[in-house]
Order: sequence, then structure tokens, then C-alpha cells
Amino acid sequence: MKKLLVILSLLVVGTLALAACATPEAVTVYETVEVEKVVEGETIIETVEVEKEVEVIKEVEVEAEPEPVTRQGAWVDTVVFVEEPSSDNAITRLEAGDIDVYAFNIAEAPIAQRIYDSEVLKSYTSYGSYNELTFNPVLELEDGSLNPFGDAQVREAMNWLIDRSYITQEIMGGMGRPRFVAINYASKDSAEMADIIAAMELKYAHDPAKAEEVITARMVELGAEMVDGVWQFNGAPVVIVGLIRVEDERLEIGDYVANQLEDIGFTVDRQYKTSAEASACWISSDPATGCFSYYTGGWVSTVISRNAQYNFGDFYTPLGWGIPLWQAYQPSDEFFAVADKLYNSDYADVAERKELMSQVIPLSMEDSARVWLLDATGIAPLRKELSVAADLSGSIYGATLWPLTLQYENQVGGSVTIAMPSMMTQAWNPVAGSNWVYDMMPMRGAKGNAVIPDPFTGLNLPCRLESAAVYALEGLPIGQTMDWAVLEFVDEIVVPDDAWADWDAENQVWITAAERFEEPATAKTKVVMTYEADFPGNTTWHDGSPFTMADMVMGMIMNFDPSKEASAIYDEGTVPSFDSFMSTFKGWRIVSEAPVVIEYYTDAYSLDAEQSVSNFRAAFPNEGGLYAQGSAAWHNIVPAWLAEANGEMAFSDDKATALEVDQTNYLAGPTVELMKAKLDEALAGAYIPYEPTLGAYITAEEATTRYENLQAWLGRTGHIYLGTGAFYIQKAFPVEGTIIMQRNPEYPDMADRWSQFAEAPVPEVLLDGPGEVAIGGEAAFDVFIDFKGEPYLTDDLAMVKYLLFDATGALAFQGQAEPVEDGYWQVVLDADTTGALTAGSNKLGVIVVSKRALVPITQTAEFVTAE
Amino acid sequence: MSDATLTRKEEAAPQKERSSGTGTLVRVAKFTALRLVVLFFTVIIGIYLTVLIANMGGYVDEIRRGEIRSQISISIYMSEDANIKILSAEEKNKLVAERVVIEEHRQGLDKPFIIRSFDFLKNAIVLDLGFATDMVSDSGSKQVRLILLERLPPTLLLWGAANLFLFFAALYIGLYLSRKYGSFLDRMIVALAPTSSAPAWFYGIFLILIFAGVLQILPFGGLVEAPPPENKLNYALSVLEHLILPTAAIILSAIAISSYNRRTFFLIYSQEDYVEMAKAKGVPDRAIERRYVLRPTLPPIITQFLLLVIAIWTGATILETVFNWPGLGRAIYQAIGMYDTPVIVGVNVIYAYLLAGTVFLLDIIYALVDPRVRIGEEGKRA
Repeated sequence: MKKLLVILSLLVVGTLALAACATPEAVTVYETVEVEKVVEGETIIETVEVEKEVEVIKEVEVEAEPEPVTRQGAWVDTVVFVEEPSSDNAITRLEAGDIDVYAFNIAEAPIAQRIYDSEVLKSYTSYGSYNELTFNPVLELEDGSLNPFGDAQVREAMNWLIDRSYITQEIMGGMGRPRFVAINYASKDSAEMADIIAAMELKYAHDPAKAEEVITARMVELGAEMVDGVWQFNGAPVVIVGLIRVEDERLEIGDYVANQLEDIGFTVDRQYKTSAEASACWISSDPATGCFSYYTGGWVSTVISRNAQYNFGDFYTPLGWGIPLWQAYQPSDEFFAVADKLYNSDYADVAERKELMSQVIPLSMEDSARVWLLDATGIAPLRKELSVAADLSGSIYGATLWPLTLQYENQVGGSVTIAMPSMMTQAWNPVAGSNWVYDMMPMRGAKGNAVIPDPFTGLNLPCRLESAAVYALEGLPIGQTMDWAVLEFVDEIVVPDDAWADWDAENQVWITAAERFEEPATAKTKVVMTYEADFPGNTTWHDGSPFTMADMVMGMIMNFDPSKEASAIYDEGTVPSFDSFMSTFKGWRIVSEAPVVIEYYTDAYSLDAEQSVSNFRAAFPNEGGLYAQGSAAWHNIVPAWLAEANGEMAFSDDKATALEVDQTNYLAGPTVELMKAKLDEALAGAYIPYEPTLGAYITAEEATTRYENLQAWLGRTGHIYLGTGAFYIQKAFPVEGTIIMQRNPEYPDMADRWSQFAEAPVPEVLLDGPGEVAIGGEAAFDVFIDFKGEPYLTDDLAMVKYLLFDATGALAFQGQAEPVEDGYWQVVLDADTTGALTAGSNKLGVIVVSKRALVPITQTAEFVTAE
Repeated sequence: MSDATLTRKEEAAPQKERSSGTGTLVRVAKFTALRLVVLFFTVIIGIYLTVLIANMGGYVDEIRRGEIRSQISISIYMSEDANIKILSAEEKNKLVAERVVIEEHRQGLDKPFIIRSFDFLKNAIVLDLGFATDMVSDSGSKQVRLILLERLPPTLLLWGAANLFLFFAALYIGLYLSRKYGSFLDRMIVALAPTSSAPAWFYGIFLILIFAGVLQILPFGGLVEAPPPENKLNYALSVLEHLILPTAAIILSAIAISSYNRRTFFLIYSQEDYVEMAKAKGVPDRAIERRYVLRPTLPPIITQFLLLVIAIWTGATILETVFNWPGLGRAIYQAIGMYDTPVIVGVNVIYAYLLAGTVFLLDIIYALVDPRVRIGEEGKRA
């Protein structure tokens, strides 16, 4: 035994000694570091992977902790934008790795299938576009003929005649979902009114026999008669003119509708037109001429709508567009009264608004000046190794967060090539330049923001802004969702006398509220915006110039000055919109410069306190990005300003055309040369724009430094487009259709700040329950709600509602499901509920609405009731 | 070409006495002046017809009015801006109406079309192409001149390279085949000629799939790689690399039929009596080709060549779209789709002037290369 112990002891000692004498193991590790690279005089910061040999002294097992992120700004180093007009080509190029993202919403089923089948591609879904049928509401046309769609009951019956499932499945190849009401699928109201919408879907489900029955009855009452299977009026066939758009799926939809109408005895004259050709009829003509009976309309929304209350006035009543078609609408008194209340926000609180919405939806269906057909599903493809925030309505190209979320999986740095159908289709300038959706994508990459819209809910999120206080008059229907914007209702809001309320273009000074208003002015809302403590010190323009208060004040001036006749850059085209703005604007003022605190007063308001911060057009709180398209520092406005004042070019297309000069283009073209000359002039004279006002914020030395920075920038990049965003535009190649953007290492935020927006947290819902329920017995149905396998937090869900349809298909009961635990809810049908059902097949529908992604998810389960 | 101005001198006719040098000069000057006047009026008529057609006799005004109202209405009534949303229906209507008036004025729609049609004509004649209605050049300018000029180099490069190669290759092959009539190569070209019924873009799709998609040795399309190389030599090399597939597509689609046409053309001339006579006299083959075949065929060849050169001006829409090539064809197609009449008229005006210039030039070239053609002789016809 002793020997054994000795041997064991020796073995232990020997092992320890050997371990101590062991040579440390050398291993190779890879690290990403940032290096500076000089390309053609341009210094670029690039992330490269370096190989290092390190010695491992001792291996211990420890719990892996997430590595702290030290990278600022964007995850990737370079983004290259290229043009690719063909979706088919784009997919081939994506698969071959020639491009990485195709920033376009693909709606063609065969191409979408290629993406789904691909092993190297994935896609993001969005719901921004939708289709409908617009009817001519004039019953008796100028030539005495009958237009059946002038009758509301005939229009309503079209809801039963059209098979929306056929359209979405057969025509759209599954790239869409049936739509019945005037509310977008991806919207706040779609989620809140989900039960009413579901009831409408049930009431107006495809039923051609019912449609024919209603239409036949009405046609006879209108004086028409069926002769040999063809409707006739005054001895002539009733001709329906289908104005059918030819550019997209509306061609097939228009033909499908024509076929359905022909099947029930109408004679259809199919007029195939492009957008421009059709507009001459349905927009410009008096509907009494009968140039169309139905038109295949299509709409696009690039942001998630948070307020659909205006849709009913806009789409069904003369409150909408001031053109002959809209003025011919004749909604019922009841419908108009409700639509009018909503249109003018004439309600006391959120509850009354909801009640009005509940009334207006069924009334709009009875009117059916429009029959809604589908919410199209678009998919934006990209390579699997990438992720990026994609707006549920605006897709990748419409997401403000794309530059801050674009990233290779488990990799920092790298270059991403993004293709889109077209770009640089108009001149780029921040005042009145291109607002083309595809141009806006690179612009968003270069732009800094005070607030950023949540891509899944549309609500503003603070970026450079720290917080906001929103004061609203008692009774205004404003709500608050997040805690960064604090809402408070007050009895009165008085505009301070010293608030800047207008602009004196002649003397280049602000007009105070005391000067503008004869009596102390009041406003409906007041918003106080407090920026981050280290702002604007943490923000730098791409040319290296520091961001200062002068940039903000200049931006605000530029929202007033072009609309003033005394201005050197007066543009009459801006006056109508400016006048509208001034009808609600009351004043603004800088309360503090450290930290930056701005308050403004206006009669305009949004239903969400978070959105109120962007209601003041002139002070939309982008740091310096106080312009309509993009952002600008005061010093890169100056060269364009001087050239426009000299009549050499103009910010707006309207003015440029009127003067027969070029529109200001900051990226390329002849105006860059003109601005270069003006920049030299400005530098020579240390020019301070709007000196009577901005002289308080800009010194001659600062002006000189900024102009020198801009000159150097122009020399390096060939353009004068500036921003403070996560990327800067290194070079634009207009003929080649290429824009190169490089990561801005000075961007203040950490790269992972917005990582949670890489994928829309749309709930995945599973409804499970008994297949048979005894009448008068209790039944429980389980609702499992997950996202990527993880239970959906109860607090993150806005609503889990159930609708119970009985054996006749009627809505028998509705109610709220009960939360059991995170990701698990239950619908309990008590004895009274099941006791009211009759024997037969019933349907239970569950509608789940998340607070984090505004798309209602519906699941249904069928069960049989028996005695 | 008008018979009234060209006289074809018959071979058998007796030689006319030569006029004095002054007389010739006067005759040439008169002919030139008359020809220029006729061509000028032809161009004017052509341009005015283009103005009328491009504007659909004024109907485009209605279309544009509808578009303007539609776009402005959407921007106001569908706006998410709370400052707009809060306006009453009347205020929104007023806002839309004011903006429509401004926009219609900007586009000149507040003037009757007939007056504007003469404005178009006047500007076109002096080559004042003006500003586009909606389109912009790649560099963001609305000057029609720049819209066209920026697209011209890529168009010239692609179509110039492809068509010049095609022209001379077909000429050479045609001549060669006419000598080797009935050979295997000749029969092969005859057999392949129908393949040219497929357009170039059709071949382009296959070439892209094979060389870019599968083999991945050539780019999918575009003018240059992205990002474009900074170094000029590398840039040029990249452009050449991108030129290979579209050029190949054009050549593939047309080489067989072009060679076949040339070969047939030369064959016809090779069977003329005077060629047979030369052969009988023992004149060498090369000399026969040069003197008796090529020389009389020069006028139609030159005509084809010049027409081919000016046809480059219009580019080709589909091929340029397939290869994402920034050429004039796509610009013109876009202009037609947008009813941008200044651009459409601009393209046609330049083409009309080029065509007129070419016709005039051909008159002179004919006189130089074809001894049977004389300028300004009256009273005699072939």
C-alpha cells in the first residue's frame, strides 16, 4: 500500500513538474484592425484581418463573454452602389457574388421563387404597395348611357364578385395578401382595428352568386334589361370601360375584372394604358364623360402609416383630391359625417377615434367607391452572410437604419455592393434636389439624424436627441408609447414673445413672435427637444469641419428665405407649401446651446408624441439636416447660394427651368464647376452668409477654415455633398452609374447600437386546441407566440384577440386571450359561449399584434361542436 | 437620292466636250446651293413632323397635365407630414391648385400647343436643344445637349467597335466567299445566315449566362467594374473587358447575314460582262477584283457605311438594357416613355441633320469615286 502511495505521489509530482516545464503553445490568432490607406491622395480607413502568433500559457475554461464592441459607426468599410435595372439579372449576379444586395422590391413570383430556392440568398419582406379598383361614381353619363358603378350597391356587390384569393394566388403567384379595407396591412390602425377588418373579410368573402343577385336586382331597378344574356339600357348594351394599366400585374387584374363582368352580362371595353396615358382620363377628365368605368389603381407607401384616419375622406369623399373624379363622389350622409370627423380630427380622445374608425370601415365598404384588392408583398434579396434593417413598408432602400445595421455575419469591415434599378436620376441638392427613392438610400447613408424611424413600427427613436417633452392642449388625441418623448396635456400654450416666428429676408433677421402677432400667440402643441450632452461636439462634417449651432440656424433660415420675395434666392414655387406651413407654425427658439435645447410651437400635431418632434418642418431635428433632401453644412450651401443669387443655377427644378439654367447638383455636372468658382470667391472674402443673423455664430476665421476644408474635400472627391452620417460619399460616377461610400470613422455611435433592428420581430403564432367541443362545455385553445424559437415577451405584445365564427360563418363572439407566461397565451371558451353555438363546424381566429412590428398575424383553427 | 440632280452618263454615249474651269465651278456651286436648299427644307419638314408626332398633335399636353395633377395631388393628399395632414380639404385643394399652375407654367402648358410647336421648330433649326421636361443627364443636368452628349461616348464605343468590325469583316469575308463560291465555308455561311434573325440581345443573354454566370470570366454588364479603377489604363482595360460580351453579341447576331449579303453582292458584280471580258483577256484575279468588282461596288458600299455610321447615333434599347450599357438607346427609350418631347425632338433633329449631311456628302463622294456620275448636267438621264 505504501509503495502504491509513493508511486502515486511521484506520478502527481512528476506530472506537475512536467506541466510546469512545458513549452508554451504557440497559436495563430486573427484580429481585425483598422489601417489607413491612401488611394489617389484620399485617406481611407479600412478594416483588415491580421495574423498574429501568440503564446498560450495556460488553457482554462471560462464562460465566454460577449466581446465589447469598440467600433464606431458602420460595421462595413465600403458600400458600392451600382445600377441593375433587371431583377432577373440581379438574382444571377447575387448568386454569382457579383453583387451583395439588390435594393428593390421584387413582386414577380417566378423571380421570388428563385430567391427562395437559392442556397446563398435570403430576403426581407415588405408590404408597401397595394392595388384597388377605382370606380367612376357618375350614374348617368353625358351621352345618356348608364354607368352601373354610379350605384353604391353595385359597387358594393363587386366585393363579392372579385375573388381576391385568385388575384393574390394565381395572378400574383402568392406575392400578396387579400385586402378588403382602406387601411394598409403594415400600419398601426391595421393592428388596432384587426377585429373589424376580420369581420369585413368575412362579410365580403368571394360569393359570385350573391354578387350577381344584387347586381341584377339593382340593374333592373335602374331601368336596364337583360337581352340575350347582355345588359341593355335604352336599347343599347351597357358598356363598361375598363381603364387597365399595362406596366405591371394590373394588366392581368384588369382583364380578370373584365372577364367577371362579362360573365354576368356586361359588355366591357378594355382600354389598356400606361400611367401617363391613363392619367389624362381618370385624373384630368370629368367622369361624366365616361372615359372610364373602373380603373386599376395602385399605390405605394414607403413608411409605416401610423394614422389611417384620413384615408376615408381621401379615398371616398369630395374631401379628397380637388379634381373632378373626387368631386363627383356622393357618400351617404352617415358615411360622410364620420369620414369628415376623422378627416378633421374632430374627436375628443383616442377612444372616440377608435369608435369612429369602427363605424367608418363598414360604411366605406357599403360605399365602395373603391374596391381594395391586395397588399402586395415585395421581397428584397441579399446574400445570406449579410444582414441589414429593412423597413416593413419601405424595404431596404427605405430604411433609415440601413447604414448602421448593414453587416457581414460575424465579421467587422468588408465591402458590400448594393445594386438598385436606377440612381442619380435627378440632381442632388439638400434644398430641393432628388427625392427619388433609390437616390434617397445613399443619401440616408451620408446623413446624420436626431431621430430615426423604427423600421418595424414607424415610431421615431432618438439618435442625437436625448429626450423630448411634448406639451399638448387638453383633449388632443395624442398618445405616448416610448419614454423618451414625455407627453403632458396643458390648458394653454403661450408662444414666448422672443420666439422666432418668421424671417425678414430684406434685413436677414428673424421676426419675433411679439412682432409677428398683434396679441400674445398661442399654439396647440409645444415640443422641447434636448440633444445629447456632448452634441454638437461629438459631430463632425465629412470634410472635417465641426458641426456648430450655425449649421442649425442656417438650415432653419433656408426653410424660410427662398419663399420670401425680398430674398436673393426667392423661388415662387416654394410659396404655396410655405404658406401652408406658416398657417400652423407659431415660433421656435434656442433655449440653450450646451446642452442644445430647442423648443417650437405649432398647431400641427401627430397622434404619437414621438412623431411630434418631426412636425416642425423648419426644425426637423436632424443635426444640420434641416433640409428636404439630405443634409448640409452652412458652408456647403454658400457656393450654391451665391450661384443662384447670381442667376447661374437654382436649387429647385421649377426655378431652374424658368430661368433656363441647370438645377444645382452637388454630385456632378456643370454646376459643380460653377460652385467651385463661387467657393473660391467665398474663401477670398471669408464670406459669412446671412451675416446680420449668422454673424453671431460664425467668425471670419471659422469661415475661412470651413471653405478651405470644403475646397480640399472637393479636390479629393470631386463633389461638395456633405453629411455627418455613418458613410461619406467618396466618389460618384454618374455615367457609369456607381457611387462609392466609405465608412465615416468619426461617427459618434458604437456600431452595435442598432443591432436589434437587423430583423423584424414579427411574431410566429401557433394555435392549438381540441378538434371537437361539446356544446355547453368549456374549451381551451393554446396560443404559442415565438420569434426565432424564443418566447415572445408578454409585454412586447399589444394585442392577442380572438374571433369566434359559428357554423353559419357569422361572428359569434370576440374577446382577449389570456397570457399564461411569456410566449404562451390561452383562449378559453366558457360554457356560456359554447352553449350559444349550434352543432357544426366553427372557426376560431386569433389575431396577434406586436408592439415591436406592426403587422397583425392571424391564425385560425376549426373545431366541431356537438351536443 | 434624287434622279433629278444626278445624271448617269451612258457608256455608249459620245464624250461631251469639257466645259471651261469657270463653268464647272459655277455648275458645281449651283448644284451645291440647290442641293443644300432642298435638303434644308426636307430637314425642316422632317423636324416639324417629328414635333407633331412626338407631341401626338398636342395630346401629350393632356397627358402631361394629368401627370402633373396626379403627382402633386399624391404629394399633398397622401403626405405623412402633419403640417399638411392638418390642413382642411379646401386648404389642400388650394395648395394643389397653386402648385399645378406653377408646374404647368414651368412646362409651358399654359401656352397653346400650336404656338409651342413653332418654338420647338425654331429652336431645333438652330440646334438650340434646350432643356428636357423631366429627364436629366447622368450628371444631373436637364440640358438636352448634355443628356445626349454624356451617352454618346459609350454608344460610339460599343456600336462603333461592333459595327466597324462587322462592316469590314463582312466585306472581307464576302469578297473571299465570292471567290470561293460553293466551298465548304461558303455553304456554311449560307446555312448560318438565318441565325441572324435572332436579335443581338438574344445572343447577349446566352453570352451573359455562359461567360458571366457560369464561367465567371467576364462581367455581367455595365460600362466598367465597380468601383471604377482610378488609374486610367486600368479603367480603359476594364471598359474593354466590359465591351467584349455586348460586342460579341452584336457581331454574332449579324456576321453571318452580313457576310452572306456581301458575298451575294460581289457575286452579282463578278458575273458582269466586263468582268468576264477581263477574265478572258487574262487579267489577274486580284486586278479584276480591284478594278472591275470593287470599284463599281464602291458607291453602295460607301452609302451603307455612312448610313451605318449615323445609325450608331440611335443605339439599341434592348441590348443596352440587357448589358446595362449607358447608351443613347436607353436614353431615347426613357424619353419616349416619359413623353419628354424636347429630348425626342433633340435626338431626331440631330439625326435629321446627320442624314442630310450624309446625303449631301454622298453626292460628292459618288462624283469622286464613280466616273459615270457627273454633277449638275441637265437634260440627260440614265
